[in-house]
Amino acid sequence: MLLDTTDFPDDHEIRADIIIVGAGAAGITMALDLIGSKQSVLLFESGGLEEEPATQHLYAGAVVNARLHSPPDRYRQRRLGGTTTIWGGRCMPLDPIDFEVRDYVPGSGWPIIYTDVEPFYARANALCEAGAFAYTTDATFGPAALPIVAGFTSPDYSTHRLERFSCPTNFAARYGHKLRGRHNVQVVLHANLTQIVLDENGTQVRQLLLRTLSGKRLTARGGRYVLATGGLEAARLLLANRDRHPRGIGNQHDIVGRYYMCHVAGTIGAIQFACPTSAVYRGYRMSPEGVYCRQRFSLEESAQRREGIGSFIARLHHPRITDPAHRSAILSLLYLAKPLIPYEYQQRLHGADGNSPGDWLRHVTNVVTGPVEAASFTWHMVRDRMLAERKFPSIIINSKANLYSIDFHAEQYPNAASRVLLDDTVDALGMPRIKIDWRYLPEDVHTVSRALEILARDFAASGVGRLHYDPALVETEITRYGAYGGHHIGTARMGSDPRSSVVDANCRLHAVNNLYVAGSAVFPTSSQANPTLTIVALALRLAAHLSRMEALR
Amino acid sequence: MIREKILVNGAASPLGRRVLDALRANQHINAVAADRLNREALRSAVRDADILINATMGSAAAISLAAKRLFEALRGEAPSKRLVHVSSMTVYGNAIGQCNETTLPVEPLGKYASAHIAAETEAKGFSQMVILRPGVEYGPGCEAWSGRVAAWLAHRRIGDLGAGGDGYCNLIFIDDLVRAVLAAMRSPAAGRVFNVAMAGPPTWNEYLMAYAIALGATPVRRMTRRRWTLETTFLAPPLKVAELTVGRSPFIARQLPPPIPPSFRHLCAQEIRLDVTAAEEILGLNWTPLIAGLRAAATAYGLVVRR
Repeated sequence: MLLDTTDFPDDHEIRADIIIVGAGAAGITMALDLIGSKQSVLLFESGGLEEEPATQHLYAGAVVNARLHSPPDRYRQRRLGGTTTIWGGRCMPLDPIDFEVRDYVPGSGWPIIYTDVEPFYARANALCEAGAFAYTTDATFGPAALPIVAGFTSPDYSTHRLERFSCPTNFAARYGHKLRGRHNVQVVLHANLTQIVLDENGTQVRQLLLRTLSGKRLTARGGRYVLATGGLEAARLLLANRDRHPRGIGNQHDIVGRYYMCHVAGTIGAIQFACPTSAVYRGYRMSPEGVYCRQRFSLEESAQRREGIGSFIARLHHPRITDPAHRSAILSLLYLAKPLIPYEYQQRLHGADGNSPGDWLRHVTNVVTGPVEAASFTWHMVRDRMLAERKFPSIIINSKANLYSIDFHAEQYPNAASRVLLDDTVDALGMPRIKIDWRYLPEDVHTVSRALEILARDFAASGVGRLHYDPALVETEITRYGAYGGHHIGTARMGSDPRSSVVDANCRLHAVNNLYVAGSAVFPTSSQANPTLTIVALALRLAAHLSRMEALR
Repeated sequence: MIREKILVNGAASPLGRRVLDALRANQHINAVAADRLNREALRSAVRDADILINATMGSAAAISLAAKRLFEALRGEAPSKRLVHVSSMTVYGNAIGQCNETTLPVEPLGKYASAHIAAETEAKGFSQMVILRPGVEYGPGCEAWSGRVAAWLAHRRIGDLGAGGDGYCNLIFIDDLVRAVLAAMRSPAAGRVFNVAMAGPPTWNEYLMAYAIALGATPVRRMTRRRWTLETTFLAPPLKVAELTVGRSPFIARQLPPPIPPSFRHLCAQEIRLDVTAAEEILGLNWTPLIAGLRAAATAYGLVVRR
């Protein structure tokens, strides 16, 4: 059932067995999974059905280095559906190595292994509408599978692994009808969590205090409580509640908010293929279920171990959009249309180059001299992206010159100095705002540098083409767009030792018996994989755990 | 040798045909089709029969008429005659959630549901009756749920329906339904009603996706809400009128896309799940795995796709 705080009188108390705060990917997944269970469930959402500026502004905060990280109210949404209302849809599971303790990655090692999460991935895939849980070309396309580059072989890179794309599914729009049904789950909109009230010992949540922007108050009492508010907000809520614990809930050992990771990503170099253009396939293919899939170059686990570097994947990419030297009508059209493109997808349309009047004129010239190319691309985007429910995931431009760049996405090392902390300012509800101090390590640069060296070596050894890039520019490219937007990882990390982690293997706070965290905040390491699929899988795992716990009561 | 006499009403339906074939394979049974008998002949056939099966499918009018004829003939006969009456899950109307045989219908009820409810009410007047409420019959010979769906999938007119396909598809493979009828003939459970559908049914999206893949009608198309509304609300009525008028010509019929009725859209979204525990425990039924059933359906209707 979908309710609003306006449905309740002021100072109303509401009870449920399980109380979830935050109706995004994790919160909605848990609620859906608990529909029909014996527990009563309350799902609180700060926002409403659409974006509301005043509510969204509650996310505003500070960034220590604005060049390295986007403002905190960007790349996340405070409304029913959360950030699934704007996400890109890329899905892939973590790999077994991501869960392991790796001596070359300090702070690595989850208290669970891949097979603990694996049983939940198939349903997570279904909820994300990413088709079958099949992430290799063989499993998806069978004998019809094609290589990315015919003739490319490598002892260290695989090319048969896929990323799959969600519609991208807006969980509010897609599953709203289920949440609205008459059952054991109630969703309450416009309820902002402002206080987590602990018992005298500080080891048990007694109740939650929630407020609306109009000043109405609500109290929620339950058996178990889940923070499913996203990686930044989970840290904020734990740190801001200091009544019982002066450093914040679960923060006795100063871990909450630390180890904040995104991903290390960028675009670099130029690869000129020597093979025919038909031998290079960098686009999307539709799986039998109608899901867009794309192959990538994945650094094998054996190579990661041998080199002592993090996980890394690469894709063939078009040249940098901002530089009109690419002479592509499509890329120039995108550059010129950037005011019409949502902020979250604009980042690569900004840069030091391409901004002068001369560059702007060259972009216009590119469009004018390629009208057919520009018109056909526009039609493709209107039909397959704007009007389609399953949207074409990104811009794909096949180079007639067989010339591409490399787009990479790599694991970021856990780093205690990279953190989310509280700012001195407060929001409209009196809650301290956050301050983001995202940092990266030399090891992150080394992962990308070494992985690129191996990739360049194997392109050359295969005889399919040569990758040219300036190794001195790797760090520049990593930081060109700053931390990868929207991936907020590690701020309430999972572990067995309370001195170095916030939650245990079941996502429960070490320090508080009935408080859990759902979402990427609990990932101790980031992997190269985009986090949403694993957020959903872990949310399903947590829902199953809570059901089991309730059954034992 | 005295052969048991079994009368099958609705023998022209996909189910009736298969039941008749199954019965005729048994040399100890004399199975008779009742459909073409006039009133007197039917009365006589009913009198002679040991067991009666009403397997009529089709429109609301056809169901009402066939039931009325059969039950009129049966009235006054020995109460020991077993009557197996095949009804439909539509008797639950707009119910959602888990439905067992005691679940009451939820309004509004369409003509089809009302016809089945009326027929069931009549059937319950016979003490030796067993009523079966099948879900969605699929498999070879099931034009409604396998044949026309294959045509829609082949022409990419349906596919992944998003939220519109979250309803449960309470499938019953046609051979399982035949087995259910045969089990009901012999069951001591006189006076009982049974839901018959596979346990743990897929959603409509899952069914359509898996069927499309079995047919080779891939990649499956994601339908926009706009397109789905257009098909089922605005295109369906004129296509139906065309089918009933100019569509009588075989040449035009081949060109006409089959309509996707609004009732189908409603069904795909209805989250009703049949509880089949009683059928499993009392009739001893088990269910053909979905993948095997779809393979059989795809073999039967694959030509639609190839064409």
